[in-house]
Amino acid sequence: MPAASRNSIGGGRGFGINDDVDILTEVLKRLDGRSVCVAACVCRQWSSIARKDSVWEELCFRHVSPGVRPVVVALGGYKRLYMVCVRPLLKRMTLARPDEVQLSLSLFCVHYYETLAGSGPPSSLMFLCNPVNV
Amino acid sequence: MVPYETAAIPIANPPATSSSTTTTTTISKPPEIDGLLAGAGYKVRSSDLRHVAQRLERLETAMLNSPSQHLSLLASDAVLYNPSDLSTWVDSLLSELNQSQSLPSLPSDLSDLVSNPTALDGSWMDQQLPPPTAAIHNQQPSQLTVVEEDSGIRLVHMLMTCAEYVQRGELSLAGSLIQDMQSLLTRVNTGCGIGKVAGCFIDALSRRVFAAGGGGGIPGSAYETEILYHHFYEACPYLKFAHFTANQAILEAFDGHDCVHVVDFNLMHGLQWPALIQALALRPGGPPTLRLTGIGPPSPDGRDSLREIGLRLAELARSVNVRFAFRGVAASRLEDVKPWMLQVNPKEAVAVNSIMQLHKLLDRPAPIEAVLGWIRSLNPKIVTVVEHEADHNQPGFLDRFTESLYYYSTMFDSLDACALQPEKALAEMYIQREICNVVSCEGPARLERHEPLARWRERLGRAGFRPLHLGSNAFKQASMLLTLFSAEGYCVEENEGCLTLGWHSRPLIAASAWHALPETAAVSPDVAVVGGAVM
Repeated sequence: MPAASRNSIGGGRGFGINDDVDILTEVLKRLDGRSVCVAACVCRQWSSIARKDSVWEELCFRHVSPGVRPVVVALGGYKRLYMVCVRPLLKRMTLARPDEVQLSLSLFCVHYYETLAGSGPPSSLMFLCNPVNV
Repeated sequence: MVPYETAAIPIANPPATSSSTTTTTTISKPPEIDGLLAGAGYKVRSSDLRHVAQRLERLETAMLNSPSQHLSLLASDAVLYNPSDLSTWVDSLLSELNQSQSLPSLPSDLSDLVSNPTALDGSWMDQQLPPPTAAIHNQQPSQLTVVEEDSGIRLVHMLMTCAEYVQRGELSLAGSLIQDMQSLLTRVNTGCGIGKVAGCFIDALSRRVFAAGGGGGIPGSAYETEILYHHFYEACPYLKFAHFTANQAILEAFDGHDCVHVVDFNLMHGLQWPALIQALALRPGGPPTLRLTGIGPPSPDGRDSLREIGLRLAELARSVNVRFAFRGVAASRLEDVKPWMLQVNPKEAVAVNSIMQLHKLLDRPAPIEAVLGWIRSLNPKIVTVVEHEADHNQPGFLDRFTESLYYYSTMFDSLDACALQPEKALAEMYIQREICNVVSCEGPARLERHEPLARWRERLGRAGFRPLHLGSNAFKQASMLLTLFSAEGYCVEENEGCLTLGWHSRPLIAASAWHALPETAAVSPDVAVVGGAVM
């Protein structure tokens, strides 16, 4: 890692955020969903990093056991889980507790099952898109 | 106060004492008077605000609609009642204006459908004086709602009268009343609320009264039923609640077993099982080997729909690494299924799942006893039963009709909150078919013989089952599921170890779990005894 120079304002060699993909990934992992999508519009490199499933995994479940991963991957991946399930759920619950996580996974599974049917767009999660009655 | 001013009744001095309010209250604690209105000189209890607002709205409309002689009578009268006691004042004025009609109190599910008080709630609570704009804005729809409310109430009364005629066998009277109701229906909004419910019941009654050969439900293929069922699944939480609650119980019962077998009494599209498969995949210690036996009606056009569903479930299970096997049993009636068709292995843990199927067997005592008997012979670890929480199997037609009118009004009410189309319309058709079956069919054709939880408890107890408490996990999951639905009226309640889901404190669907006691010596010789007792 290039050392940051004290005189780095004009000509010195500083550390560019784009120099290390892993660090950039770690930074983007800590954003919320909307910010990740915005970050994906910055440049090609950021766009490819923002599409990594590990970023969305963090987003979905910050405190959950890694055993969930094979199932989520089999059902379509974390990004899909976030878009289809987690994002609408986050309007109504925090998804911090394991039982909330479990419920979102179950709903995601039903959704995946419907995509297997292949007859039209899956609709079992449409009810999540209703605005919450205040 | 807009209606107050238009009536042009001289303002009385606001009373200094609270004696006028205590005469109207029946509670011993001092009632909580709304502070904002008290500042303007009116004593109204905070709990009464909504009621008073509705009444004032009605009074205004009634005054606008009533002939001028009445109004001049009121205007020339001396002050009859103390207007600072707003609640009694508006009630007495209303009764004077509506001499012929005293509005009967509706059950809460029907009266909720009448007017839209939510806009008024906000304006009363948040502002110093109710803004005139709010009252005017509500004037147009409230004119309609007063007329509609009267027609709605009249429809309900006519429906009850018609049902009574049917019970007494006076079909010609019933028929002419049906025609009257159909014409009244044209003046009511049948898109929502009481108009819609009344429309369904009038249709069901007319099928009963006018159908040749005595009673007929709505004909429909199994394929149509599946589609309507699917939309009912999406539009409201009842089926989701049923599936998730049953799955949670089954998951807990399968704890520690490596070979498990689920028997589903009505497979449909198999929407219940992906969630269970996924939960089993993630359980600590790894997934068991899962067998699923799905019972369903035979498909008419040669497609093996059961097998297709099975293949889909197998694909899902394969992708999450759960060893899975499926077997389909095609039977048009549950009583045609024999236990040997299920091929239960004595070493596996069996779960029997019945979502709204057992009530179809209640036409005569024999089928239900036979089915419960062979379920017990399978020695299941758990039997999950979800049924409608209603008494639609009473012998008297009028009782059945009344009960189903209130039950389905509540259900339609809950569906009103759903915004998804066409899901909502098709879900309503699904419910309409049930209504038709309850009202217009008899004998073996009447399948929807719902019985309340208490009666199922007795029945299952007599058949040798003991209740399994559903536990707090199921309750928490059900509550979480409900927070996802945008309508705020659903409620989950615990009832002696069973869970019920209802709308505004009226339970509509009840989920319970049971297990079989070890087999006693008195086993019917017809029932295949499955291996030794494995607990």
